[in-house]
Amino acid sequence: MTVDSFAEPWILWTLLVLHVVAIPLSALGARRDHRLGLGIAAIPPLLTTIWTVILLAGSAEPFTTELLWVEGLDVGFSFRTDSIALLMTLLVSGIGTLVLTYATGYFSSSSAQMPRMTASLLAFSTSMLGLVLADSIWTVFIFWEFTSITSFVLVGHKDVDASVRDAARRALMITGAGGLSLLGGLVILGSEAGTTSLSELEPITGGRGWIAALLILGGVATKSAQVPFHVWLPGAMKAPTPVSAYLHSATMVKAGVLLLAITGPAFVDVATWKWVGLALGITSMLWGGITSLRHRDAKLILAWGTISQLGLLVTLLSVGTAKATFAAISILFAHAIFKAALFAVVGEIDIRTGTRDIRELGGLHRTMPIATAVAVVSGLSMAGVPPLLGFAAKEAAVEAALKLSGIDALIVSTSIIGGSVITVAYTTRFLLGTFGAGPDTSVAPRRPGMTIATTILGLGSIVGYIAMGAVNNIVRPAAIEIDKKAEVYLLYRWPGLTTGFMVSLGIVAAGVVVGAFILNRVDQPAPEARGADMVDSGLDRFLAWAPQPIAAIQHGSLPVYLATMVLVALTATIPFASDIDVDTLVLWDSPFQGALALAIVVAALAGAFVSSRLGAALTLGAVGLGVSGIFVVHGAPDLALTQLVVETVIVVGFVLGLGHLARSFPAAHATWKSVRMAVSTILGVGVALALAASGSNPSGTPPIEELAEAAVDEGGGANIVNVILTDLRALDTLGEVVVLAVVAIGILALANTRETEANA
Amino acid sequence: MIGGSSPVLQLGVRTATPLAILVGVYLFFAGHNAPGGGFAAGLVFGAVVTLRAIAGIQRPTHAMTLLSGGTLMVIVVAAIPLFFGEPLLDQAVGSIEVPLLGKVKSGSALPFDLGVSAIVVGLIIALLDGLGVGDITAKRPQSPDSSEVAS
Repeated sequence: MTVDSFAEPWILWTLLVLHVVAIPLSALGARRDHRLGLGIAAIPPLLTTIWTVILLAGSAEPFTTELLWVEGLDVGFSFRTDSIALLMTLLVSGIGTLVLTYATGYFSSSSAQMPRMTASLLAFSTSMLGLVLADSIWTVFIFWEFTSITSFVLVGHKDVDASVRDAARRALMITGAGGLSLLGGLVILGSEAGTTSLSELEPITGGRGWIAALLILGGVATKSAQVPFHVWLPGAMKAPTPVSAYLHSATMVKAGVLLLAITGPAFVDVATWKWVGLALGITSMLWGGITSLRHRDAKLILAWGTISQLGLLVTLLSVGTAKATFAAISILFAHAIFKAALFAVVGEIDIRTGTRDIRELGGLHRTMPIATAVAVVSGLSMAGVPPLLGFAAKEAAVEAALKLSGIDALIVSTSIIGGSVITVAYTTRFLLGTFGAGPDTSVAPRRPGMTIATTILGLGSIVGYIAMGAVNNIVRPAAIEIDKKAEVYLLYRWPGLTTGFMVSLGIVAAGVVVGAFILNRVDQPAPEARGADMVDSGLDRFLAWAPQPIAAIQHGSLPVYLATMVLVALTATIPFASDIDVDTLVLWDSPFQGALALAIVVAALAGAFVSSRLGAALTLGAVGLGVSGIFVVHGAPDLALTQLVVETVIVVGFVLGLGHLARSFPAAHATWKSVRMAVSTILGVGVALALAASGSNPSGTPPIEELAEAAVDEGGGANIVNVILTDLRALDTLGEVVVLAVVAIGILALANTRETEANA
Repeated sequence: MIGGSSPVLQLGVRTATPLAILVGVYLFFAGHNAPGGGFAAGLVFGAVVTLRAIAGIQRPTHAMTLLSGGTLMVIVVAAIPLFFGEPLLDQAVGSIEVPLLGKVKSGSALPFDLGVSAIVVGLIIALLDGLGVGDITAKRPQSPDSSEVAS
């Protein structure tokens, strides 16, 4: 078996289907025991991880595969397995497997919410997998939205708590709005680039490039929590820690960065892309880090740190040099590992001590040695200290910043160096505050699921450093995928005494001093979530305001609805009035038509003036009979028959309905009468205009010959109309009858509501 | 009084019911080569149901069964060809020799049309239920209805 026998589309599809199938199964399993459910949920990600490792280890040839739905629009599911997709798959499925293992320990009792939690975790994992493997912009968008929705469910896990519901709603509204922005951007990008395939994107030069850039950056910034769209991320920390570790540090928040990376090559000539990206990234990097230094909740410290790190990634990718891109991919990889480990440790502390407040935590290095070791290793990796994976990645970023020239050099290098100092500072403060001296916290016993997962994640930073060659084999091709010029770069275990290394040493020294001695105060109050409150109150105000315009539009007056519809219909026909060819208008084809038309007009007028309701219903029936008579004269017996039966049923139905009402119409005001007449006249004129216009413009000859032939050959029937209905155009019929069924179910539901209300 | 108390109407509808059903069945099968078809047949059956409702005699009430059965039927008939590598809704036509009738030709359009009929009848029954027919023959508003919208 060679590696390429694993690079088969059917394996990818099987894995995806397996994910989807396992979602309900895991929920069923979790109803019995939450560990069983999580175990079932871990199988598809585990298999995907193994598959990805095999492909990566053998440098398998990338392939694309698609399941097309709408041809011509390229709408469908389309996936690719290039290096960056595989790197992200490794993170999504690998960390997914570990998080599900971790969750077996994190969730102790089998609560009623566990089936939902288990199924949503796997559903998120599936969506994320689809997103990172997606090749067409449509597939990207679909799975992007899926991640927003599953994230909403996961954040809102403890749905009895109002603040949790608010946090979930905030996350959904912000990322959802970003999703719409992204859709707009992708549509423009697709039309400018002339392809919907991400792997075939070429630099776009069109004048609308900057709009696409702004819209896509809107999606990126909301998903990857860039200032000022970051306010949902700290709130999302109300989610259980496995969710935070998985979604809000390792994978989902990286979706924006990933998108930035893979669509970046299309925007190399668009200045907006670079400068807006830099502004977002640098602001987030600095603001996230500074806010992180002010929090006392260990989880929030990490969350703000994530915003800062995501800012660094966005900055590096926006710079656009090959070296910066390479550094960004390296940090993306390293960050997923060390940040997931740190979150996992904080979750374990939370569960075993009952607090995450760094003022109350102390002596954990004695009581929780494994967790402490993992946190220290991962924290140092985050700070960029050797011999850890984060060091090599951070080194690449510093090198990339120092290599810049011009105005970029000044802004970007200062920011990256400043951001790195802050990163070291908040890491130091986090580690000292959580694990250092302090009142000894009482600690509950260790839980195997959590320890296994945190240990593996913690070892990741060490193993990544030792096996730097393997990491290079994963990271480098992914960077080359984005920028060909990145092939000259490598991560080094030991870069030698370069300028970059000296700068790194300075960063660490400065950061430690700031974090341990200057800004280590924990007694100041934690910052208030003003941005989040603003979003919440804005949403509340909107919801309080919305009923007014809705009530104004949906006022419930049937005559006004009717008049509106008629006016709109007439307005729509006006442009076609000039198409009317007077020569095609004849009085009648046969005098019968004239007689029938006269009867119809008389019946219609009678219906308008008769005062008895029953009489009006009968005149409507007469109109219908006249119309079906016209169909007969015109040689359309099928239509006539159907019209006849429909009219019969309607008249009988009218008679039934009239039982509820008085026998006569109530007296109407003269003004109102004239309004009704005007509306009716307008409708009549509009329909006449539309019919005359369409009759004057026959588009081609009707395909009667072909239809007649096809009816007998394919449909096996001589009645063309019915063969069209049941065979040639049966899809239309299918749709129509389904609509009928839905309408009927709606009527039944309404009738039932009335009964329930009457009984209440 | 719409008819709950009229023996003439009741007897008339009772007598007409089998004949109307016969007409519906004829239309259903005639649709292949002549005017008719599942939709028209369903409407005729629906008219029978409505007439019985007016006359205040027993009528079918299983709207949900007809609707779900009909929808299921059309969807299954539509989907079956997919399993044989044919396009959605592809029609299979076959003929068999039946004693007395001779060669009878039919196709998968038949069950499809049956589903359409069932949905149409279901819709009409649902409409009757929605109009609250059943209690209508029993009581009638005493005071003139003054709630007509915007009048």
